[in-house]
Amino acid sequence: MDNIIEVRHLSKSFGDNEILSDINFTVNKGEVVCIIGASGSGKSTLLRCINLLEKPSGGEIIYHGNNVLDNKHDVYAYRTKLGMVFQQFNLFNNHNVLSNCTIGQMKVLHRSKEEAEEVAMKFLKVVGMDQYINAKPRQLSGGMKQRVAIARALSMEPDVMLFDEPTSALDPEMVGEVLAVMKELAKSGLTMLVVTHEMGFASEVADRVVFMDQGVITEEGTPEEIFNNPKEERTREFLRRILRDAKPD
Amino acid sequence: MTWKWFIKIITDYWPMFLRGAGVTLYISIIGTIIGAIIGLIIGTIRTIPQSDNVVKRVLMKIVNAILTIYIEVFRGTPMIVQSMVIFYGSLMLFNINMDKMFAGIFIVSINTGAYTAEIVRGGIISVDRGQFEAAHALGMNHIKTMLYVVLPQVIRNILPAMGNEFVINIKDSSVLNVISVTELFFQTSSITGNVFRFFEPFLIASIIYLVMTVTVTRILRFIEKRMDGPENFNVIPGNQMQVARPEDLVKKPGKTGC
Repeated sequence: MDNIIEVRHLSKSFGDNEILSDINFTVNKGEVVCIIGASGSGKSTLLRCINLLEKPSGGEIIYHGNNVLDNKHDVYAYRTKLGMVFQQFNLFNNHNVLSNCTIGQMKVLHRSKEEAEEVAMKFLKVVGMDQYINAKPRQLSGGMKQRVAIARALSMEPDVMLFDEPTSALDPEMVGEVLAVMKELAKSGLTMLVVTHEMGFASEVADRVVFMDQGVITEEGTPEEIFNNPKEERTREFLRRILRDAKPD
Repeated sequence: MTWKWFIKIITDYWPMFLRGAGVTLYISIIGTIIGAIIGLIIGTIRTIPQSDNVVKRVLMKIVNAILTIYIEVFRGTPMIVQSMVIFYGSLMLFNINMDKMFAGIFIVSINTGAYTAEIVRGGIISVDRGQFEAAHALGMNHIKTMLYVVLPQVIRNILPAMGNEFVINIKDSSVLNVISVTELFFQTSSITGNVFRFFEPFLIASIIYLVMTVTVTRILRFIEKRMDGPENFNVIPGNQMQVARPEDLVKKPGKTGC
């Protein structure tokens, strides 16, 4: 399998506070990788380091054979190859749904307006938001915003989609619609790296699950291995806690 | 009798008042717009993230220092004094005889620019970090992020403050009479010289100033409302010619506030 992103010995610290240390893992083409772990374990920071929203303190990120942390590497071109979906949606407030999905294509990829709109409409249909193209973000519900955000990222036709806890800021009844879209995308063969608290989603969709604790990857494996037969004590403890909380009294 | 004078001055001198008001409006509109552009540019420069490159960092430090001096000097001295210094200074030191209208617009612009720079900086800081991050994640650099995502939101956010600046400019352009710009105050002074009365001409001038400022405020409020658009969005069914069936109406997503 050809790997798209390979992270080698990645570390990140804010001052003396080490958030990530010696992270190693790869994302292969067509794979869905879920990163799980407790809050503050460095999952989001890892994702943000991968598309360089945070500058890693050390290590390498190899993208198609090139180290993107090399000073000569074009950061902006690299970022267009990674679609990012944020916890807080971060739709551009001054653009409507359609132009949220076209602005990046037009201004960064230099596509024509017609082409950009055609591509945007294709992905807005995928997420079921094609009826709302003239709406402004503040007129939409959280779930709708997140679906548009997914379409916006897809419109750049990236190699990998990064999801940073895409359902954590949503009301419970809106989580389903976003997860449904993500499952659809996973089935279509899109390469996805998902930071999530949705264990159901991870066990159902992921090809591989990465468990993080206190800035290191403690365990990595197929969903069956991680959820049914975890090797590490920390993983077991985390899953016990999560499953206990998830159970209705 | 005051009232008679009032009517007489209006009927005799209305073209002068009108011309003065026109010049005042012209200078304050152009001055506010240029000032806003100066402010937006300075605000953008002052929020450029720190570079890793040492040379660039030193360069940024120097540019920032110059901009800080500009802001402090023009915020810290009265516009009436600046007018004298700039107009007569350029004549004495560089032998440039500035066109009076140009000098007026120039002074109002750089003054407004100094104030707006700080307003814009505040406006940029108040835009959610997520907007910058989302733009960066799409591969936009600082300039593109600013142009297509941040500044349009900043402009909306600073509109009330810019309205304030505009109103201040309408009133404060009256100080330009010290360099003989023929704005409303200057014209009114000339009229008092003709009729040897002070109260009535200046009463008329104050009414004209009031009308101008109130009108401008209302227009800007209207623009703000237009920019915001409606609170809710209703989906228009794809085929608008089709008469909606009752079941369609039930299914139709209604108000979608968040």
